[in-house]
Amino acid sequence: MANSFRKPAILDPMYYPIIALLIALIACVELSDAVTAVDVYRLVQYDISGVPFGSRLATLNHHAGSSFFGSGSSSDLSRTVLILPVRELNLTLITEYIEQKKLLGGLLLLLPPKFRPENTGSTFGADEDIDSLRNKLVELEWLLTHSNIPYPVYFAFEDDNIKAVLAEVKRNDASGQPATATTGGYKLVVAASDPKRIVSPNIANIQGWLPGLKVDGDSNQLPTIAIVASYDTFGAAPALSAGSDSNGSGVVALLEIARLFSALYSNPKTRGRYNLLFGLTSGGQYNYNGTQKWLRSFDQRLRESIDYAICLNNVGSLGNQLHLHVSKPPENAYIQQIFQGFSTVAEELGLQVGLKHKKINISNPRVAWEHEQFSRLRVTAATLSELSTAPELLESTGGLTDNRHFTSEASIIRSIKLVAESLARHIYSQEKKSISIFADDSSLAVNPSYIRSWLDLLSTTPRVAPFLSKNDPLIKALEKELADHTAEVNVQHETLDGTFTFYDSTSGKLHIYQVASVTFDLLLLLVLGSYLITLFSFLFITTRVRILVSLNLDSVILVYQSKYKDEEKKMRNSSNQSAGIVQQGLDDLISLFRRPSSRKVKST
Amino acid sequence: MTVFHFFNCAILTFGPHAVYYSATPLSEYDTLWTSIKAAVVYLFTALVKLVCLATFLNVSESESDNFDPYQELLKALFGFIEVAGLYFALTQLTHRNISQNHKFQAVGLGWAFADSVLHRLVPLWFGARGLEFTWDYILQGLEANANLVFSISLAALGSLMWLRKNKPKTLIPIIYACAGIVATMPTITSYLRRGLGWHLPKVVGFELFSSLLIAFISWQLFVACQRPSN
Repeated sequence: MANSFRKPAILDPMYYPIIALLIALIACVELSDAVTAVDVYRLVQYDISGVPFGSRLATLNHHAGSSFFGSGSSSDLSRTVLILPVRELNLTLITEYIEQKKLLGGLLLLLPPKFRPENTGSTFGADEDIDSLRNKLVELEWLLTHSNIPYPVYFAFEDDNIKAVLAEVKRNDASGQPATATTGGYKLVVAASDPKRIVSPNIANIQGWLPGLKVDGDSNQLPTIAIVASYDTFGAAPALSAGSDSNGSGVVALLEIARLFSALYSNPKTRGRYNLLFGLTSGGQYNYNGTQKWLRSFDQRLRESIDYAICLNNVGSLGNQLHLHVSKPPENAYIQQIFQGFSTVAEELGLQVGLKHKKINISNPRVAWEHEQFSRLRVTAATLSELSTAPELLESTGGLTDNRHFTSEASIIRSIKLVAESLARHIYSQEKKSISIFADDSSLAVNPSYIRSWLDLLSTTPRVAPFLSKNDPLIKALEKELADHTAEVNVQHETLDGTFTFYDSTSGKLHIYQVASVTFDLLLLLVLGSYLITLFSFLFITTRVRILVSLNLDSVILVYQSKYKDEEKKMRNSSNQSAGIVQQGLDDLISLFRRPSSRKVKST
Repeated sequence: MTVFHFFNCAILTFGPHAVYYSATPLSEYDTLWTSIKAAVVYLFTALVKLVCLATFLNVSESESDNFDPYQELLKALFGFIEVAGLYFALTQLTHRNISQNHKFQAVGLGWAFADSVLHRLVPLWFGARGLEFTWDYILQGLEANANLVFSISLAALGSLMWLRKNKPKTLIPIIYACAGIVATMPTITSYLRRGLGWHLPKVVGFELFSSLLIAFISWQLFVACQRPSN
């Protein structure tokens, strides 16, 4: 008994791989024959303290539409995917639509191809109304990330294929034929599984340590200066959030400053009396959660040895106004010292640096600037940024619009000079003298090609913290780069605080199928049926009736007389004999379905 | 919905074969076995042809759209392997005692059906069930219809060539010419498609038209050959 039960259990699993292979094969073949397959990027899906935001679905399988008004009569769009190019988007309309929580099958937003992160080479044409488009996108991004949208929302870039599809869909809509299952049209399919919560999202802080020159004995007492920048981003489409200015520019500046000081510190003669601590922190968009965890991990002595910290945030956009944001009152001596150092150098560079003071409210969980995390631990710190006011939570986080085109290398170079020069003067106690340590033609000049290559890399790498794995190439690259410039590098892996929950499936493939309607298939079936019936009748009449006619007519009639008497009577009633033969043929046609074989007819 | 479409295409592709069998006296004479035999012969012929093609034809990596006369000539030559197979099916197989009239029809039918199953069923299964709608599978079904007519015509001509002894001498060259044309039909369509760049609907239309023409001619030839014996 036991054996007989066990046998099928042993045999069955052998077939599973074969079955799985077959299914996979069929699935592959079925998916690969679409007209167009487009890369699409899903709107972020996240919760803040359990409150849902963003697009709550990933699977898309509906017909395409092109406007909110559908086509005349039917205003029900719950089974329609709207394709909306951002260029022509009516913001008030979509705001209204989302705020009133009207149902849609899905939303596909087409971004101009120039906003593609990979597109670093070409520049925007001067004629284009790029600023208004950018503002529109910023507004749209804010709207989408701060609403709970119960249908899938995807972003894609305009290309010829999708434009052709859109034109066709628009034509259909205009002609008053709604694209539903009965009239054909285009079907948009994104095969995605249900988005899953990312369990314990990882944030990695990378820290580099450049020790100062120890004078015999009292090595522990060397003061430390920290330079910090957060490298992660956030945006409507996590797979497209490769923030170039925020905060790619800060990361690039930090790396270049590390490179410059490593050159200085490699020579004992120019090695300063300050330790330098470089920190690339993650979780910057979520109240600088990474920075907080990083600081907490410091031991007491290190934390107390920090003289001050400079945080770099958005230092790469055009314009020559920078702000030094602080939390301590501006009258504070340390703050004054830092600000003096910066403004002196800024004057030489033709920059304007303003001091902005914003008090910390300990009871408010919002941390608007990175330096506030330092200040909360009573470490003097300031943030250098081109933003004049503190951003809201999830504002200016390096999303869709934060493009390489809007970030200027020259501005970054200026900011680097500003920070490096003022730091160097502080470290070497040259505050009062107007010397230039990092002069343009010296061996310590800022390297523009280094900046460009790093800025290009960061501007093409999406880096929303929860979607970066522990061993993400970007984290490895940053770690390696810091290791090249500093004596000691540590990567600290932490888990993002539980207030934020993220869901996966950030990108996918959209397949656009041209589908036939059910009515078409019904019609086709009708046509085919009548074709086959005609063919049958034609073949039947040409082959069998001819045979019957060619035989002796009397014998045929006799045969029929004997077999089908009542029908024969009817036939007799008809006056014309030839008509009778046609009748016979029809009878034969009918009888074919009744009789098993009519060979007897022939045999007689 | 898509299964529905597959069903439609399958009806178009394989329906005529069934209709032909049931509507004509073939079903009365129980010639199914003959058709099956012919289908088996077709399978072997197709195998031999494939092996020959694979051995002697150099396959270009990309599905090239240009028409290579030398390669096509070779292909046409291998096309005659099919004729040889048909010869075998018509003359060498022992058939039940059925008239020549029905024999060639049964062989042609089996031949065409095997061809349809071999060449059209798998693409149909994978293609027509997909969401994407194309006319291709409907056109392919029409092509299968044309192919059925061609196969039966070729079988008719073959039976005239090989089985009928007392045929009018004047008709013999015409019979051979027609058979030659039918045997090289794949090459002709390939030339139309690649050499002249015709689109599929046009090619299928041509095939349908020419199949009807060939069928008419071979019918006339058949009738003409039958006359002296009567």
